Amino acid sequence: MADTQPMPEHALARLAGLRREGHPDGVFTSDFSVNEFLLVRKAGFEPIGLCVGSCIYHVGFQFAGWSSSQELDVLSTAMYEARALAMERMREEAKQMGADGIVGVRLTVKRLEWDAKVLEFVAIGTGIVHAKGHPGFKGPNGEPFTSDLSGQDFWTLLQAGYRPLEMVMGSCVYHVARRGAFASMGTIGRNVELTNFSIALYEARELAMERMQLEATQAGAEGVVGANLHEGSHGWSTHVIEFFAIGTAVVPIEGDSHAEAIPDPKLVLSVNS
Amino acid sequence: MTGTAESFGHDHAARNAGWEEALERDGLPEFVIHRLEEAAAGRGAWVATMTPAELLLARSHGIRPLATISGTCWFHYGWSWTQGHAQGWHEALDRLRREAVACGANAVVDVRMRTLRHRIASSMDYTLIGTAVRIDGLPPGKDPVIATVPALEFVRLLEADIVPVGIAVGASYDWLNRIGYGGYGNSPYYGGNGWQTTRQMRSWTNQPLHELTDFWERIRREAHADLRAAAGRQGNGVLAHTQFGQLIQREQDKQPPAYLGRHIVIGTVVDTRRAAGFPHEIEQVIDMRDDLSPLNRPNEPRHSGYEADVQDQEGDI
Repeated sequence: MADTQPMPEHALARLAGLRREGHPDGVFTSDFSVNEFLLVRKAGFEPIGLCVGSCIYHVGFQFAGWSSSQELDVLSTAMYEARALAMERMREEAKQMGADGIVGVRLTVKRLEWDAKVLEFVAIGTGIVHAKGHPGFKGPNGEPFTSDLSGQDFWTLLQAGYRPLEMVMGSCVYHVARRGAFASMGTIGRNVELTNFSIALYEARELAMERMQLEATQAGAEGVVGANLHEGSHGWSTHVIEFFAIGTAVVPIEGDSHAEAIPDPKLVLSVNS
Repeated sequence: MTGTAESFGHDHAARNAGWEEALERDGLPEFVIHRLEEAAAGRGAWVATMTPAELLLARSHGIRPLATISGTCWFHYGWSWTQGHAQGWHEALDRLRREAVACGANAVVDVRMRTLRHRIASSMDYTLIGTAVRIDGLPPGKDPVIATVPALEFVRLLEADIVPVGIAVGASYDWLNRIGYGGYGNSPYYGGNGWQTTRQMRSWTNQPLHELTDFWERIRREAHADLRAAAGRQGNGVLAHTQFGQLIQREQDKQPPAYLGRHIVIGTVVDTRRAAGFPHEIEQVIDMRDDLSPLNRPNEPRHSGYEADVQDQEGDI
């Protein structure tokens, strides 16, 4: 193999079928891709296991007047609480595994076909632990941190001098008022802003954002990365929309705030695509 | 007349008999063994699913493609859909491994899991296709590793002292509240008898359905534990898992409905030293290609102006 790249002895031994020992450190499970795994390792972490939490939730009923724009707080509460419960169960599993945190968390909502008012919420991610036992990466109160960052994003975030704290979210389900026949008549043939709709959307989004930001502040975060706003309608009537804000709250890594030490990315143009 | 069975001098009846006899004794037909041995000896053309870029990296790391090999099992799930899936994949894996051994491969890379969408009478086909490779300097393999990753990633994993060794399947299912069935729902742990969930579902207020949540979560966790155990027999880690789960409600006469939960997880098993590190420096680059710009990706949330505004089906978040 003189003219080829060297490969680690262990890998060659395993390929030759020489090594099949027991694994004293146990077996890990993860949903990492190859690149994710490599970058999590590069960041100095090891995966230990898939963490999953779910919550099957019965969403209550709330009446909204035909012509009123208002938050449906029963639904807002349901959508927030069910996700929080699923996340908490996932975090609990991570804690039992001894994880420092969870990366790549995916939150899904699924309507069950046999009951329109029952929603299934699932949170799933890979629990990781610092390979050298560094204690400084836990989330709030010594609990495992949570983040929806991929392994690649996790590595890059650490390079930027920050570490993830926890996923923060805010939910607001809003009923947008229907317009009366009289108001509709008045706009026939004219280009006009429907101010009541604008205000409803503005307000609903604002509430979701405010709630997420408050949660981050309360967790002691400096900021939130990867913040995103989702609009969804989980089988509700057309005038009911959920605004859901989610992101990963981050804090600076202690003693690692030299922004000028971060290398400037190189500009490349890939020619093989 | 080229390319037809006759032009190659094939005898259908003899080939069929060959397959039948081979499946019977868990072996391979004579003509398959012949093809694979020819490929191993370099007498025929090698066949690889690799792209040119993968071939380049494989060559520079002493990896030589031999043949494209497969394992297929059309399986009928009689007593259990969930366990049937696990069994079907295991059988296909065994058959793939058999072909790999026949050509003396050290590894099978780029193994893809395929199924046809023909569900005939509660049955399904489980097929694995991959490229058998030899590694320079190693003797022919007696127990080749099965890697679901393409050659490019296979090489990168080996460099990082991680060996993808196989596929692990974890599966679990159970019933809640099914009359005359000894599932969890009837065990004292749950206490409830289904009425609680049914009552909650008729309610007008928000509430988590604890009974159903616990039941469902336990099935998922058991599937994960099963995956972990299956992985432990081959290596010490699982990457890239895919999963499929269903929670089904079934009405029962004068009783609260029963629930069937089933969950399957499948992942790639790796064998690695703990904290092996990663030998390469990582350089940060910004790719100047246009198709990577967010402005050119209309299907993503950040630029959804002319998409259907609101998804009302299942989706992320």
